[in-house]
Amino acid sequence: MLETEELSKQFKGKIAVEGVNLHLERGESVGLLGPNGAGKSTTISMISSLIKPTSGDVLLDGKNVIKDPGKIRRVLGVVPQEIALYEELTAYENLKFFGRIYGLRGKALEKNIEEVFELVGLTDRQKDIVKTYSGGMKRRINIAAALLHEPEVLIMDEPTVGIDPQSRSHILEMVRELNLKKGMTVLYTSHYMEEVERLCDRVYIMDHGRIISSGTKDELKSILSSEETIMIDLDRPYPDLYNDLKQHDGILQTMETETGLKLIVPKGSRLLGELFQIADRHQAKVVNVHVQTPTLEDVFLHLTGRKLRD
Amino acid sequence: MISIFLLQWQRFRREPLLVLSFFGLTIFFVFFLAGSANTNQITVQTYLEDDVSQSSADEWLTVLNQSETFRFELTEEEDARSAVMNGEASLALQLRNDNYRILVTVDDQNYQLVNGYVQQVFQEELRLAEVESSLESVEIRDTIAQELEEPVLTVTSDTIAGDDNGFLYDARLHTLFGMTLFFSVYTMMFSLTNVAEEKRLGTWDRLIVSPLRKWEVYLGHLLYCFLIGFLQILTIFLFFEYVFQFNIGANFGAILLIIACYAFAIVSVGMLLIGLVRTTQQLQAVIPIVATAMAMIGGAFWPVEIVSNEIMIILSKAMPIFYGMEALKGVAYLDQGILEISEPLAIMFLFGVFSMGIGINLMERRAS
Repeated sequence: MLETEELSKQFKGKIAVEGVNLHLERGESVGLLGPNGAGKSTTISMISSLIKPTSGDVLLDGKNVIKDPGKIRRVLGVVPQEIALYEELTAYENLKFFGRIYGLRGKALEKNIEEVFELVGLTDRQKDIVKTYSGGMKRRINIAAALLHEPEVLIMDEPTVGIDPQSRSHILEMVRELNLKKGMTVLYTSHYMEEVERLCDRVYIMDHGRIISSGTKDELKSILSSEETIMIDLDRPYPDLYNDLKQHDGILQTMETETGLKLIVPKGSRLLGELFQIADRHQAKVVNVHVQTPTLEDVFLHLTGRKLRD
Repeated sequence: MISIFLLQWQRFRREPLLVLSFFGLTIFFVFFLAGSANTNQITVQTYLEDDVSQSSADEWLTVLNQSETFRFELTEEEDARSAVMNGEASLALQLRNDNYRILVTVDDQNYQLVNGYVQQVFQEELRLAEVESSLESVEIRDTIAQELEEPVLTVTSDTIAGDDNGFLYDARLHTLFGMTLFFSVYTMMFSLTNVAEEKRLGTWDRLIVSPLRKWEVYLGHLLYCFLIGFLQILTIFLFFEYVFQFNIGANFGAILLIIACYAFAIVSVGMLLIGLVRTTQQLQAVIPIVATAMAMIGGAFWPVEIVSNEIMIILSKAMPIFYGMEALKGVAYLDQGILEISEPLAIMFLFGVFSMGIGINLMERRAS
């Protein structure tokens, strides 16, 4: 339905996105995963016709939309990363305006506004001024404004940044519902791995302006089928221990976590005993050890050598 | 386009303070600088000779005060003399039954003007009184008034009031035009910050990825800023014309056209500024500098004719406010029509077209 061909963008000679090829089938939910500065927002800005690519094409149902962006704009709903609303107006006034610019009028507009308010769970607060809303509520209205014209494709650029867990959960539920029940095609960008894991059928992993890997969640995890993850919880950080483990030949990746260390090691390697010995040598107190199968986060770490939130 | 335009009004309705404050400031400054009364009037302290009755004095004062240039105030002789002696007044008028005297300290221009006027009034009145007494059966004053309604011959005499260079100047109108055009710059340009603000907040991007065309988004904003400036200037002109009897000229169509061309030029300069600066904060800092400089150089605060520096005079020609003032003064002072003011109108329009073109181009370049 929607695809990009060798999409590239340079800003003053600096490459922001290079040779991005991705495609979305109708009704699919696709994740675009990458750390800050990976080029996700630039990519979706080009797809949504906000900025022109330096080279490459965006195709909608096989037709190029770069030269005639009107085609894609009518079927696209874009949820920007920032809260792009008129905060001095009420939520209802905002939605009415955004509905009008998509050509909705009269009863159809009123009906859609009502439905969207119900969807985001803010029917009772629709007449309130947006600036009186909490961050989570603003995010929900931010999404609502992109849904009014019932778009075929919904592009969401990190829609849950900086909100409380309750609102976040509500938004994720809502997106899942739109995808599963209404068959809306979703392109969801995030640097929250768990969101992408929860929402998306397929994932593109992006770093330094390039797609470095793609596939279904299982396909991506299978990249690490020969590895396993060891989570070590410590009573406090031990920098020397971390450095020592980083030098260890038998450990593929080492990273610090909030509670201790995370190690990716070859599957079946009998390293636990040695790990305890090394920890003992550094007089580190091990609180907990957990061996798990790799997550998408581990895949990302494996592919890029850095954490998603770096 | 209409949606964008209406949205701006909706936002204005929610937060009208900024626009209304500039509206209020204009009225405040014009009122106190130009005054609600005719400040060009020369006040003449007037006292009576002992044998002049109060009714006779009232009659003379009524006749004398028909002038728009002079205001004759009855006062005690002692006060009038004291005012002249202390330098508070340059002259005082003593009314006698069929004559007058002027108490004067210096033979200046005011004395010449007052003496000429009072002499003319006394001569006319005494002649009329003499004719009335000789023609008792005829209402000579009514007959003369009727004859003057349809004169056989009309002699028109235009006086160039002002300094030695002979430029036209009316302090009240200059203040009204200058202050109104000056403060309207703030209103229009600060309203334009909505565009920069939308870009900062991301709503602009939301509009761009909608089916609206880019020119519709721009036009919606520009039309709002133009109209708010146009309405502010027009309302203030009408307010002072009808409430405080300022005479802005009879050619209302020309006035409307001047306001429209000026508002277009200023909105365009605003777009140029948005194109030049990078942030909303920079824009908010630049607007007062540009507005004040434009008003000072362009002759909104004082007539350009009193400026002797050649560079400043040349610079003034690069300010749209200069042409707005020229055109307004042309209509108000000389009763000029659209044809006569077509040059400043055309310059303002061209100014607008160029500034708008460059401004939008700069904005689009930055966006891409």
